[in-house]
Amino acid sequence: MKKNEKPKTGMARLMQLAMTKKPLVIASVILASLAAVMSFIPYLAIYQIVKEIISVYPNLDTLNQSALFNYGWMALGGMIANIVLYFGALMCSHLAAFGTLYELKVNFSSHIAKVPLGFHLFIGSGKLRKIMDENIENIEKFIAHSLPDIVAASVSPIVMALILLAVDWRFGLTAILGMAIAFVLQMSMYGNEGARVKMSQYQTAIENMNNASVEYIRGISVVKAFKQTVYSFRRLHDTIKEYTAMVIPYTLSWENSFSAFTTIINHIYLLLLPVGILIGMNTTDYQTYAITFIFYLIFVPSIASILMKLMYVNSDSMRILNGIEAMDKILAEPELSEPDHPKTTKQFDVAFSHVSFSYDVSQEVEALSDVSFMAKQGEVTAIVGPSGGGKSTIAHLIPRFFDVQEGSVSVGGVDVRDMNREYLMNQVSFVFQDVFLFKQSIKDNIRLGNKNATDAEIIAAAKAAQCHDFITKMPNGYDTVIGTKGIHISGGEKQRIAIARAIVKDAPIVVLDEATAFADPENEHLIQKAFEKLMHNKTVIIIAHRLATIRSANQIVVMDSGYISETGTHEELLAKEAKYAAMWRTYNQTSTWTMKTKGSV
Amino acid sequence: MSNKPSKLQDALMLTDKGYTDLKAAIGACTLTNFSMLLPSIVMLQIIVELIGPFTGSAISWTKMWTLFTIGIAGAIVVFFCNKNDYKKTYVASYMESENARTTLAEHIRKLPMSVFNSKNLSELTTNLMGDVGTAEHVLSHVYPQLIANAISITVICLMFAIWDWRMALAIFISVPAAFFIVIASKGIQAKLGKKHAASKLEASDQVQEYIEGIKVIKACNLDGEQFTALENSLRTMRDLAIKFEFGTGIFITSAQMFLQAGIALTVFAGTTLLTGGQIELIPMLLCLLVVTRIYGPILVELTLLPELFYHQIAIKRMRALRAIDPMEGDATKEIKEYDIKLNDVSFHYNETGEETIKNVSITIPKGGITALVGPSGSGKSTISKLIARFWDTTGGSVEIGGVNVKELDPEHLMGHMSFVFQDVILFNDTIYNNIKIGNMDATDEQIYAAAKAARCDEFADKLPNGYQTMLGENGSTISGGERQRLSIARALLKDAPIVLLDEATASLDPESEAYIQQAISELIQGKTVIVIAHRLRTISSADKIIVLDQGQAVEEGTHEELLKKKGLYHKLYTIQQESLGWSV
Repeated sequence: MKKNEKPKTGMARLMQLAMTKKPLVIASVILASLAAVMSFIPYLAIYQIVKEIISVYPNLDTLNQSALFNYGWMALGGMIANIVLYFGALMCSHLAAFGTLYELKVNFSSHIAKVPLGFHLFIGSGKLRKIMDENIENIEKFIAHSLPDIVAASVSPIVMALILLAVDWRFGLTAILGMAIAFVLQMSMYGNEGARVKMSQYQTAIENMNNASVEYIRGISVVKAFKQTVYSFRRLHDTIKEYTAMVIPYTLSWENSFSAFTTIINHIYLLLLPVGILIGMNTTDYQTYAITFIFYLIFVPSIASILMKLMYVNSDSMRILNGIEAMDKILAEPELSEPDHPKTTKQFDVAFSHVSFSYDVSQEVEALSDVSFMAKQGEVTAIVGPSGGGKSTIAHLIPRFFDVQEGSVSVGGVDVRDMNREYLMNQVSFVFQDVFLFKQSIKDNIRLGNKNATDAEIIAAAKAAQCHDFITKMPNGYDTVIGTKGIHISGGEKQRIAIARAIVKDAPIVVLDEATAFADPENEHLIQKAFEKLMHNKTVIIIAHRLATIRSANQIVVMDSGYISETGTHEELLAKEAKYAAMWRTYNQTSTWTMKTKGSV
Repeated sequence: MSNKPSKLQDALMLTDKGYTDLKAAIGACTLTNFSMLLPSIVMLQIIVELIGPFTGSAISWTKMWTLFTIGIAGAIVVFFCNKNDYKKTYVASYMESENARTTLAEHIRKLPMSVFNSKNLSELTTNLMGDVGTAEHVLSHVYPQLIANAISITVICLMFAIWDWRMALAIFISVPAAFFIVIASKGIQAKLGKKHAASKLEASDQVQEYIEGIKVIKACNLDGEQFTALENSLRTMRDLAIKFEFGTGIFITSAQMFLQAGIALTVFAGTTLLTGGQIELIPMLLCLLVVTRIYGPILVELTLLPELFYHQIAIKRMRALRAIDPMEGDATKEIKEYDIKLNDVSFHYNETGEETIKNVSITIPKGGITALVGPSGSGKSTISKLIARFWDTTGGSVEIGGVNVKELDPEHLMGHMSFVFQDVILFNDTIYNNIKIGNMDATDEQIYAAAKAARCDEFADKLPNGYQTMLGENGSTISGGERQRLSIARALLKDAPIVLLDEATASLDPESEAYIQQAISELIQGKTVIVIAHRLRTISSADKIIVLDQGQAVEEGTHEELLKKKGLYHKLYTIQQESLGWSV
């Protein structure tokens, strides 16, 4: 696809999505149209029967019974053909729909992993989930039901109009006029701007309710602890109420037009009646006139069922279009750019050169300002400083969770933006403070680091990360699924699984972001052992708070409010008597603090 | 109307008002259905009039104009019936689903913590949002129509039978057969539906996890289909959806075909009877005309039924959630003393799991610091949660001031405790309101005082809107240390006599750490304090240290006493002193 092609919106976009499975969709549309045309046959057959009978009445002896029986079969045949064809249409369209949904979801999830991480900090998970679970899901209705119905509902009136006009143009025109009125009414209901605005308000109300319920349930332990279930309950309750307050008047705004539409499509015969009377009063050939009129009276009600389908098509499409808009908005979030001519590197020094970065460009405060340092291969570079000083930002910039706004981050002299994203990721291992384990087996959780790792390699990594022992004690060992009932893994254990993940990846650059965070007394010891294995001969960048652990780092970079305030080894920095020396003193104080109440000793 | 909820009311989990509304909606729908007969009747009259000349009587144009007028009047009736029916069904169902959501949310907040442990987030939200939405749809689109159609079809069928039973038989004989097919296949449909619904839930769960773990996903190059767990669940969902559609579609389609066979039957019966002189021309023609339209509402019934079956699954799930007993207890019983006693307490998380706590008997004296220490998995956190009655013990009892916590209303009990836990949960609200959760009755001054004491000033003042800054989903915009301080501010504001402290192990920069230590010192003055300690140094001056190992209390005493014992505490302390000296 060309890059500067204008993105499609509205119905055109919906059609573009629907056409992902073109052959199936076309087959479905053709079958549905044929089905609709078939649905006229019973009416025609009944009309023929009526005509046969009337033309011989009252001499019923001359009635050709076998001809009538044939019309009976014809009526049945038409009905069955209609049903079978429609079923076939629906099956094709469902195959197309579910296939399309699947692809859309995979694309969407792939996309949200490719946009900068910052995006996720500002968008609720409830919203993204709703797009996956509902907005995309709703497209099913369009492809599977609406699309064949729309086409059938457009083809059949044309066929019908031809039939109607062919028999008698005066009746024909009147009947077509009736259909046109219904159509216009339909369009006026959904086509206007007000309806669209309301629709998006409706969507927002649902979204708010969704987000509130996620938060409500997530926060329940806290609110229970603070006896504040009512407070968070009220927040949810408010959104529920807002939804109702929105949805009732919204729905009721269709009340009149919806009722009018239903009434009109069921009363098209009333238009025919005066025309029929006027023609009849002046006719010379009564028999032909009567039979024609009867034909229309029999035939016209079949309009209702087809137009009724259109009714739901339109109201559904509105909802779907809004959902797609929300999805497209997120799909339009630019992914991190991929270089046209990706470069690789054989050397793994990590260098920051005059890097400036802020999470929100509109804000004045930069997260990093003019940061330059070099983390050499085979050495440990520690980054310390108060929270908010920019330490984690540095960790996030190396794997391109974000792109710098000024300066550059490079690995072995190659700008990270000139590397293939996948290649870059393969060069860096991470252990984050907030370890996230998936509800999969422990083995699979470790294997996330390296898809091709053998079981033996995984076990070796787990041993190195000091987690083999506790894993084997679990009910199903390495196949134990995280998050299943009765499986409890402590923070320290999670951390070691994350380290095993990093070990199995065996990347030349290791980034540890406050990775000693969770530790029980004995865990901490084990985690430290695990680290030693992980960091061996790598470019190590470690963000640490417990200053004691990084005393012997080859280089310590001290961050303060986004700037580098000083760099050097532990001894050098202490000798400077500046920021680091002050931090070191505070650190020593905190590590001797004990919890005391005034009364106790 | 009896006071006992009827079967239908119960099956749909309706409130009394909802049930009354539903009945009104069914009434309105039935009325609409009958009104829709008006155009057919007028049309038939017109046809009868037109056929007149063939049977010898002359056509009356005046009568035709009269019919036209009647038709117009009929159209007006139809319009108002539709309007009435539309209003009744929609408004009632939206009101009812507001009710259902609220009740369900109310119910959820009273459930024991154990439920939140075993049911995951997305399942509960699906219950709250999705299932109620489904029920809303059933109420507005399915039930009223289904029942109203059944009523009007029955009435029409009876009228026909009285008028000419032979033709009635020809027209309606296929109806039971069609319904039989749909109902007989209910089992298969339900099975497919259940599988489909389960796969949807699973996929939704995977999506949630994918989004939450996005950082790992990015770091491990696992976007989109690379992440097999998500990809598999989406694929399974697709395949089951196709199976479900096909499985239910095939039955409905065959039922429809059976039903429509009635058209041919009517033609055959009609012609045979007519040529045999057994039926008049006009009635026979009427039957022919009726038969093309009569199946419409019945077809609707056939398609609505499976929808109903499918929705039953959602209702069942809601029912299961509603069936979980909330934790109950006395909300008036006073706690006068705050010494805590565990008498032979045992606990396991689920029936099959092994015991996390085994026969623990300990006392926690009032007004001092008691530390719980032990290796990970030793049961420290569990004990603190049993004291707060997040769970009920499976054996033995927990007493506060001589009162068994099982006898206390959980919220009432919570009123006596403050918590500072590792996983701080924040709301998408201002910092101010997040602190206020500690005590909704607190004045502005009290709130700022607590915030200050917890050293929140230091970061809140730097934010663009100070305490009025919004925090984002689960407070994603502030750091770990800041979160901790916020939660301490909450606890300070609450000022409860018992403080449960899960000592933060998340490593913080020295400055933050110093702030938190100051904040904690403020919080614990004059309270009964229970600390789950990770760094043994910090609790070395606690009044009592209880050492746990594999769910059992193995040692207790002061720091000095325990060190002298040379037992587990001594071992843990030594290891930790060693690792403090470790450096990369």
